[in-house]
Amino acid sequence: MQSQAARKPFKPLPYLLTLPTAVFVAVFTVWPVLLSIYQSFFRQRMNIAKFREPSFIGLENYIDLLNDPYFIKVIGNTLKYIIGTVPISILLGFLFALLVNRKVRGVGFFRLAFFHPMVLPMVSAATVWLFFFTPDYGLFNTALRFLGYNGPQNWTGNPNLAILSVIIVAIWKNSGYYMIFYLAGLQNLPTDVFEAAALDGANGWQTLWQITFPLMRRTTLFISTIAFIDAFRTVDHIFVLTSGGPSRASTVLLFELWSQRFEYQDIGVSAAITVIFVVILLAFTITNFIVSERKEA
Amino acid sequence: MSTPKRFLFVLLILLVGLLAACGPAAPAEAPAEEAPAEAAPPEEAPAEEAAPAEEAAPAEEEPAMEPVTIQVFYPVAVDAPIAAIFQGYIEDFQAEYPYITVEPVFSGGYGDVQTAIQTTIDGGGEPPALAVMLATAIYDLINADYIVPLDEHIAGMEDGDAYVADFLPAFLANSYYDGQLWSVPFQRSAVVMYYNVDMFAEAGLEPPTSWQTWAEAAQALTVTEGDVTNWGLHFSSDWPYWLFQPLAIGAGQNILDDDCTVTFDDPAVIEAVQFYIDLSAEYGAMPAGVQATWPTDPPDLASGATAMIVHSSGSLTGLLEQADFELGVMPYPGKEEGTTASVPGGGNFYMMNGVSAEKQDAAWKFMEFITQPDYVADFSINTGYIANRYSAYDTDAMQAYVADVPQALLTRDALQSAGAELATQNLGQVRGIFHDYLQRAINGEMGAAEAMAAAQAEAEAALADYCE
Repeated sequence: MQSQAARKPFKPLPYLLTLPTAVFVAVFTVWPVLLSIYQSFFRQRMNIAKFREPSFIGLENYIDLLNDPYFIKVIGNTLKYIIGTVPISILLGFLFALLVNRKVRGVGFFRLAFFHPMVLPMVSAATVWLFFFTPDYGLFNTALRFLGYNGPQNWTGNPNLAILSVIIVAIWKNSGYYMIFYLAGLQNLPTDVFEAAALDGANGWQTLWQITFPLMRRTTLFISTIAFIDAFRTVDHIFVLTSGGPSRASTVLLFELWSQRFEYQDIGVSAAITVIFVVILLAFTITNFIVSERKEA
Repeated sequence: MSTPKRFLFVLLILLVGLLAACGPAAPAEAPAEEAPAEAAPPEEAPAEEAAPAEEAAPAEEEPAMEPVTIQVFYPVAVDAPIAAIFQGYIEDFQAEYPYITVEPVFSGGYGDVQTAIQTTIDGGGEPPALAVMLATAIYDLINADYIVPLDEHIAGMEDGDAYVADFLPAFLANSYYDGQLWSVPFQRSAVVMYYNVDMFAEAGLEPPTSWQTWAEAAQALTVTEGDVTNWGLHFSSDWPYWLFQPLAIGAGQNILDDDCTVTFDDPAVIEAVQFYIDLSAEYGAMPAGVQATWPTDPPDLASGATAMIVHSSGSLTGLLEQADFELGVMPYPGKEEGTTASVPGGGNFYMMNGVSAEKQDAAWKFMEFITQPDYVADFSINTGYIANRYSAYDTDAMQAYVADVPQALLTRDALQSAGAELATQNLGQVRGIFHDYLQRAINGEMGAAEAMAAAQAEAEAALADYCE
């Protein structure tokens, strides 16, 4: 990336080319966000006749949400889900990429094996996992028993394990996807630094952590952003595996948003959750970017 | 990295984030044109279903009617070629009413149909004239002003009262509000208990007749080999209210009295919760805790991994195909000897608000057409749904079918001991509360009585805004 952006005459072409995208973003992103912010200050419930017309209530939706122990629980579940999925799937994605970047026989098979979960639709994959998780004869439990596990087997029905079971499926689904980005990154690395490192007598570990990993920093930034956003918006498998239960133990933010909007038909509260959602994602994305830029300096 | 480029990069990442956040998050704001996407008509329906010969009143040469097109949103919730069957009926209908064009719009599951319609109406678009939605959605749909009552159309029939009286009463339980009829039964089912007759015979057991004999049979049929247990009973509880209701009804008290009154803390309901817990805790006849096994239960029964399951009557056709043993079907045994219990489920036709009178008339003609006994019988035979009109059972097709598959009559008979399905004001929230506490009780986080008392209190609070 070189910069020549000094004083140049205004060129309309680039703006013209991005215009279609800009229009889409305005219509489908900016406008809905503004509308949500606006609606979040109103009480409006479609399934209560007297609350069908919106009435202004200021910040009450936000105050109610933050005082609702269920909503706090949902935030807690969301945090667990993010902490459970993001770092592990990124790490696995990196390791898988290192593995399949080697020139060994059958590497195509491993690439396919790691990547295929990404290709499967989430709902079908989750349905298959539902059978894996079955107590007694389920494949997952059978494998665990073989490894000596003798804990509870009712993964999706146990209040302590339900969130773990949806995390496991998410990791399985996403790692291969992140592997692709790392693999692309690895294959674009300049070879000269590795040659120099080899001449200097760096061992494999040093090369990995002091050369490969830092060089992949931008890829990691990109992947961690994607992974974080994925963790917020992937709920398809939760519908299939646990329906957010038992007793809402696996209800995460987007699932709750869906319930509020389409089950409870509460437009005000769902708008407020949308705003909270957007704020969290923006805060993360900006922080992530600033932190990584600073390191570069 | 230069400043402008850096800026663009930030912008790019922000946009990705926003798109991700807003895509699923703000569906209400999607422009209306999006929602009812002129769904391509289902693939040419192989009319193998031999659409029942129709003799109905010849379309009274409606003189030069203006052509009218109506949309019908419908879900597919069972393992049957609903789209092809539906398309066949539509072709018959259009042959009789050439000026009406019916566009069937397959819209996913029940929830998706309702979501699509909500989104359309809230976004200012025109809803379909007709939709198949859950019978229990009635109050939410009325409160939101999404649907219109049907009394006017019924009154316009030659013998409207006889038409309505011909539906099985259990299926009309959630059709009335404020003295008006708001929906007509279409794809209806019931909760039943399926059992492996051969396993019962081998163990010298009779089909259960009370909670006591039910639990004992389940206990006797639970077999452990090595690490794996073949349970006597699978009783899914991941979306539990529906399968649970017959337990409460069998104990003497349904979980609701009317749209504003729930009875979660009634002693009989608490007893039913305790019975569910005892099936594993006392009798060891079922896995402990919440069982997220709705999709796996029918294959488990078919493969012999369990001796009994409770499930929808809609699974009958699939089970009959897969099972290589004699399949028993019955309502749940009640608590007392000789009593039974069940609960209906499934979807009704609703006529939507905000479409022109011509379209509503056309929609009514279609509803009337498709609920004729021959079509009701044909639909039941081809899908496994319970035929919802008495007269359908008198048709030749149905007579022949039940001679072959007597279980189809048993699912209907289960309805004789059925109570109303949970349908209240603010249903989503009330049902969510009930699920929450029922599952806490099942998972041992709370006692049955304590959990149901808490559920009652929260549900009453959730109903307060509707039922003052």
